[in-house]
Amino acid sequence: MSSRKKVLLKVIILGDSGVGKTSLMNQFVNKKFSNQYKATIGADFLTKEVIVDDRIVTMQIWDTAGQERFQSLGVAFYRGADCCVLVFDVTAPNTFKSLESWRDEFLIQASPRDPDNFPFVILGNKVDLDNRAVSAKRAQQWCQSKNDIPYFETSAKEAVNVELAFQTIARNALAQETEAELYNEFPDQIKLNANDNGRNRDGDNCAC
Amino acid sequence: MASTSKDNAPISVQDENTPDELEPGACPESILNPTDSFEEFASEMSSSLQERNALTTKSSTISEIQSEIGEEKDAQMKTTKSADDLQSKDGSISASASSSNLTEENGDDTDNAPENYLHSPELINKEKHVFILSSAGKPIYSRYGNEDKLAGLCGVIQALVSVVEEQNQDILRSITTKDCKAVFLVKGPLILVAVSKSNESETQLVLQLTYAFNQIVSVLTLTQLNRIFEQRRNYDLRRLLSGAERLIDHLLIFMEKDPAFLLGAVRCLPLPEKARENITNAITTTCHKIRDLVFAIMIAGNQLITLVRMKKYTLHPSDIHLLFNLVRSSESFKTAESWTPICLPKFDATGFLHGHVSYIAEDCQACLLLLTVQRDAFFPLSQAKHTIAEKMRRSNCLVAINDALNRHRDLPTTNPLKHIGIPEIRHFMYKCKSTAQLFTSDPISLDRLQDYRMRHKEGGDIVEKPIKKLSDIDYVRNYRQFCSQIHCTSIPAKLIFRSNAQDTILAWVTNGFELYVTFDALMEKDQAIKAVDRLLWWIKKEEQRIFIMNAPTF
Repeated sequence: MSSRKKVLLKVIILGDSGVGKTSLMNQFVNKKFSNQYKATIGADFLTKEVIVDDRIVTMQIWDTAGQERFQSLGVAFYRGADCCVLVFDVTAPNTFKSLESWRDEFLIQASPRDPDNFPFVILGNKVDLDNRAVSAKRAQQWCQSKNDIPYFETSAKEAVNVELAFQTIARNALAQETEAELYNEFPDQIKLNANDNGRNRDGDNCAC
Repeated sequence: MASTSKDNAPISVQDENTPDELEPGACPESILNPTDSFEEFASEMSSSLQERNALTTKSSTISEIQSEIGEEKDAQMKTTKSADDLQSKDGSISASASSSNLTEENGDDTDNAPENYLHSPELINKEKHVFILSSAGKPIYSRYGNEDKLAGLCGVIQALVSVVEEQNQDILRSITTKDCKAVFLVKGPLILVAVSKSNESETQLVLQLTYAFNQIVSVLTLTQLNRIFEQRRNYDLRRLLSGAERLIDHLLIFMEKDPAFLLGAVRCLPLPEKARENITNAITTTCHKIRDLVFAIMIAGNQLITLVRMKKYTLHPSDIHLLFNLVRSSESFKTAESWTPICLPKFDATGFLHGHVSYIAEDCQACLLLLTVQRDAFFPLSQAKHTIAEKMRRSNCLVAINDALNRHRDLPTTNPLKHIGIPEIRHFMYKCKSTAQLFTSDPISLDRLQDYRMRHKEGGDIVEKPIKKLSDIDYVRNYRQFCSQIHCTSIPAKLIFRSNAQDTILAWVTNGFELYVTFDALMEKDQAIKAVDRLLWWIKKEEQRIFIMNAPTF
């Protein structure tokens, strides 16, 4: 009864190694940042409750490893995701170029029912650094070309736009959730087919 | 100074005491499917990944009944895909129990809230956890704590299961640590996990997880459960199960306490033969004209009073256990007649039966379930119930039931140990295999179960309590390891005799029965065997009272 209002969203964070996926998540969940780089092994799981339009939403965040050798875990992790967050590093153009393949990879492996409208969010991270190499315009253009994926420029270090980005993630995933609400038909469908074998097996075999 | 002997040899007494060769409680026809509960999890454990993924098709029993009844409305009703029977019954063994320490390191996150939650008083030091999640890793049920806050843990569980599945093409069965077992069961779109510090074996835990799964199926049907996740793998199943968590809670407690689950058998309410016959007659004479009634089941205090069935259909004990659990967990049945859809997973996992559920009378705590395939049969069944209740009252059946429930002093079954007259026997439980029925020396009473439940609600914590006097539930706990030795698939024991300073336990299985007896400490073998002879003789003598010895149909 109490769980009626509860919503849990599975959010997958993808992107090349070192773009700041774990840092973004840490900033969002724990309000912390560390300059030290520690590669994620496999995946990390964190949860955070957020409030979206008076609804309490639990975000189950799957922070995956960006390194190639962990990629085979993909299918299992992507299964049943509600939203996918793609992260790149605005100072490293190759991480931006990878977005396309990350997105494709996700759509292939997760095979959501409605791939065109599956909620993605793109985060261009590390905007606090000076050596920027991917312009906001270029990123936005790409996002527009992909069915208007929301784009945010973030800094996990300085907590720029992190909260807002995750709010949007929750909101968009939730919108999908309610839109595709299962039609809860009375689940009592019974197959009716003549089955004469059953009758023959019956007890009226008194061959006396 | 414990001496354990485990051999199949030296008992040659079994035939002397059973005059007509049938073991106590056995009868030519049974209302229940004879089962070995362990067969089920043996099959669960031996199925390989491919078998699990291959869905075998099985036709629906309910459809079969419907088609026989030949309703006119047939054409209007929609059809569904038939069962995805996920339990493959035979197959190669690919057991892979791994042993490792599961430690979650999460670097510098030590002070974040979800991480701490795993160590909160709500979760720490519990004897047994049960978690249910979707194959996407979304939490569905946790026995303790708030499953929302366990989303991270569920992610880890899903990762463990799928890494073994997808990288190693294998199935994760269990993880064993020094003091704790984690047992995993993947059933359809769900992942079920038990993490236990109790003395239950891996197979006993798998059985409990299977029951938990069947409880969910009982609420939704397997068809709907599979369909939901086929359509939306990210579905949050809690929405459909809200209100049913309580059924799983109760079931888990029930399973820990009642040996009926351990043995895959049903306990009957001991009644004079005549009284049971009258009750059965009241039902058959009233209901024989109701065409689509499949089962009429009367129960009281988790015990079966009678079961009348449509010809050629029998029930599996585990379906009856789910009915017991439903009735026990639902206070609302006490105040009003109810009409409720019930799926009995062993009978037909693909569809609902419709049940008229009500207590017989204000002054009699017996509950009658009339299960039909007809969706709108409430009124005729309600009428039938009143007729049955009236007939039962007139033939004094209500008094007989109340006497049995209140454990009237004059009944031999109220205090069997006194009647048998062997003071060395402290406790016993007996299962007649062919009828899947059970009798114990000290029926676990409602009140005591309630008492355990209360304690449980407060904690379910592991308590190192000083043992003053063993209760029946404690005896059953002690039998667990004997039970798993007897049902062990590799080297099953036929007879186990263990004597030490605390007590002497004898476990004995034959083709016809299973018997577990606790004697006083340091009992001699010969003496114990003599006592068992006497015990079996008594059970045989009282069999008409303590078992249901016929299989009535409408």
